[in-house]
Amino acid sequence: MEWTRKDLLSLYDLSAEEITFLLDTAEEFKKVSERNVKKVPALRGKTVVNLFVEPSTRTRVSFELAEQRLSADIVNMQASSSSLLKGETLLDTVRNIESLQVDLIVMRHSAPGAQAFIAKHLKCGVVNAGDGAHSHPTQALLDIFTMREKKGALKDLKVTIVGDILHSRVARSNMWGLLKLGAKVTLAGPSTLVPREFEAAGVRVCHNLKDAVQDADVVNLLRIQHERQSAGFFPSTGEYAKFFGLNRQNLRWMKPDVLVMHPGPINRDVELTSEVADGPNSVILEQVTNGLAVRMAVLFLVAGCVKK
Amino acid sequence: MTLKKQLYSPEEMTAAISMIAAAIRRDFDTDGSVPYALVGLYNQGVPLAERICDEIERATGRRPEHGRLDISMYRDDVGLRSGLPLIRETVIPFNIDGHKIILVDDVLSSGRTIRAALDAITDYGRPNMIRLAVLVDRGDPEYPIRADYVGFKLDLDPAHKVAVQFDEDGDEAGIFEVNWQQKPLNR
Amino acid sequence: MSSFIFRNARVIDPVRKIDSRGDVGVIDGRIAEASEVRGGEVIDLGGKVLSPGFIDLHVHLRQPGNNMAETIASGTAAAAAGGFTSVVAMPNTNPPADTAGAIEFLRQTAAKKAVVRVLPCGCMTKGYAGEEMAGIGSLKAAGVVALSDDGRCIQDHALMRHVVEYAKSFNLPILDHCEDKCLAAGGVMHEGKWSVLLGMNGISGASEELMIARNIILARQIGWKIHMQHVSVKESVELLRNARAKGIPVTGEATPHHLTLTDECIKKYDTNYKMNPPLRSEEDRLALIAGVADGTITAIATDHAPHTMTAKMVEFDYAPFGIIGLETALPVSYGELVAKGVISLPKLVELFTAGPADILGFDDYSLAPGNPADLTVFDPEAKYTVDKEQFKSNSRNTPFDGWEVQCKTMLTMVGGKIVYNEL
Repeated sequence: MEWTRKDLLSLYDLSAEEITFLLDTAEEFKKVSERNVKKVPALRGKTVVNLFVEPSTRTRVSFELAEQRLSADIVNMQASSSSLLKGETLLDTVRNIESLQVDLIVMRHSAPGAQAFIAKHLKCGVVNAGDGAHSHPTQALLDIFTMREKKGALKDLKVTIVGDILHSRVARSNMWGLLKLGAKVTLAGPSTLVPREFEAAGVRVCHNLKDAVQDADVVNLLRIQHERQSAGFFPSTGEYAKFFGLNRQNLRWMKPDVLVMHPGPINRDVELTSEVADGPNSVILEQVTNGLAVRMAVLFLVAGCVKK
Repeated sequence: MTLKKQLYSPEEMTAAISMIAAAIRRDFDTDGSVPYALVGLYNQGVPLAERICDEIERATGRRPEHGRLDISMYRDDVGLRSGLPLIRETVIPFNIDGHKIILVDDVLSSGRTIRAALDAITDYGRPNMIRLAVLVDRGDPEYPIRADYVGFKLDLDPAHKVAVQFDEDGDEAGIFEVNWQQKPLNR
Repeated sequence: MSSFIFRNARVIDPVRKIDSRGDVGVIDGRIAEASEVRGGEVIDLGGKVLSPGFIDLHVHLRQPGNNMAETIASGTAAAAAGGFTSVVAMPNTNPPADTAGAIEFLRQTAAKKAVVRVLPCGCMTKGYAGEEMAGIGSLKAAGVVALSDDGRCIQDHALMRHVVEYAKSFNLPILDHCEDKCLAAGGVMHEGKWSVLLGMNGISGASEELMIARNIILARQIGWKIHMQHVSVKESVELLRNARAKGIPVTGEATPHHLTLTDECIKKYDTNYKMNPPLRSEEDRLALIAGVADGTITAIATDHAPHTMTAKMVEFDYAPFGIIGLETALPVSYGELVAKGVISLPKLVELFTAGPADILGFDDYSLAPGNPADLTVFDPEAKYTVDKEQFKSNSRNTPFDGWEVQCKTMLTMVGGKIVYNEL
């Protein structure tokens, strides 16, 4: 096949073949970062705008570095959605950016579907760097890339995602990507944060940590946001840690070669203890490394399909 | 309809490859003391480099070092294509620094691929010499790039393409002239 | 005033249970026997349907406050094009219609600009803020036909109880937007499979169900009628069905969009699918249709909610709730209900005429001679494509653009005056 999309909006839109194509491309970009010269001229002369309507450090740095290693010219824009609401509309903002002959817009936004909305109106490429609780395709791709690297084929791989699934774009993107590639997905956490409706997608929903993780090949832990506590979804992070946190004891229930993943930033002693985070099963830092490769691949492919 | 005409038979192709191998051997492999390596460019430069290595190995008993190079990340036509093919694996299993490198490709046409390959290979290290071997030289490159080892020199209609096919490609082997512009207009 | 004779009409008059070929006359703005008309204009309908004029219980005319989205002139022109001869104007304008003065403004402007009857509706609470009762008696004196805090719902049950009791003494029906704020908080679409899969904040069906239950309890206790606006979930239909069976004076309306569309449409992030109550699940949609079929729901109302393109061309989360519906209600409802064999054509006419008239407490909303000549003529056979650019409304926020539909308004007459004519 050939890659033909100018936008990357969500893994739900992609075929298994396209996801595999992205992962295969990322393999070659991973090697670039391992060379002495960590840069290729693939996007030389291209301009990428990183438009972060919702604050982000890690994802933005990863995208920025990926863009630099592809030799793109970069402009970073921070905008709060409230200022956008008061003044210019989002569509006006991105149309202005496009009028500066920009080739790609990498956007994070708190509103689900915001990237799909602007992509419909733009000729330049759009890469979704996270939209509300909807989708975060590059994070899911780097998670899946890491799983594939460590475990080989994804078909029938048992992947358990634990945490605040309801509010998580990472969980949703992982779920769609993994399901397309034939993995068996379990979503686990307190029942207030893991509604049964997810079963409609073809995943297992589980409210007991032991049941969820004991036969898992991969356990992906999601960050627990303290504001969910005040919104009444669970009583305290302490209670969350007690029933859904990974520690040395419950690691014993699990397969010895289980991969422990976390999209970061981790809350030590909430989602997992330091023994687990820094232990032999953890691939958390490798995820970060792979994130760069995956984002280079995405930017390279998407930019290649933006028509002049 | 695409028109395809065979210019050289598989036998003529093999003879040309032997000739290139012999010339490389003369220049680089006089006594086996000078380290040199062949680097095939995807797609067809890769099997071609393998065949040249086969010939050299048959004559000297030593297989020269060789690698494979994908130049996708170094192309200068981003956004001019409708879709992007998969990047293939670049394999340089030796230290480029101080090496003598012979880039191998099937056809030298515009010279743009070789331009990209020069950028790519020098990102892996600093060779002390780079040479170019091609099976077919179209004779009119857009860039000031010339091949050092040439199987055939061809002067064809610039609108036509040259296709080099090996046995393993699953199609008829040989060198072909392809008039790809005669595709039906609705495609 | 001029006279008319409509010949060769298929006369559908639900109140008098008439569905037959015949002629209808109009003299001096009132319905008359055709034989009594002398020298009037003769209009041959060639078998097209003639019925009492349609009433829309639920229309946002946006004037005053948002004339770019709609005005009394443009909104009533849209109503006429949709076959409606009367529209109940929701009071959540800016400023809201919570005083006699605001109602007077509406009446005066309507007298000058409106092409169909504008039936004023007053707020239940001051500023429809749900905190203090509005001057309901003064509103009645100024001419309101009903009370509503539409767009919001009184959360304080004691206040709601007092409003209903007070409204009863002024003989004003309550039209209630049923939504528990706590359960709906922050939602932008129906809470269910699709909101979970899309990662959007959901408005639970329970938020509507809870307030419908509350209203049923109050209606029973007080013995006064409460009408549930835009009923959207299965359980609400069930509550309403049981309450009506027990003789509790509650009624419900359904919108054409809740009868035809579901939350799956949100996948496209098109803000023309965003309204409140939101598009619900397929199960809810089917329950709503069943409620219409068995008489639990007695009116179709559009919840015509115009918004400018600017307001809707934003991220889904930030777009205002609401879609327009006056100019698509008839064909969309026909397609879902009559063409698919759920109900008969006379029953559909009833949902647009006698049903809403009864909710407002109008007597004899029929084609009986002597009644005001508010008439709708439509062709149930006419097929066409919805083109939002042809709308009379100032706004274009419809999900039905491009739909291939059947059943077209051909003529609308208000008080003996033709206000829309496509014959």
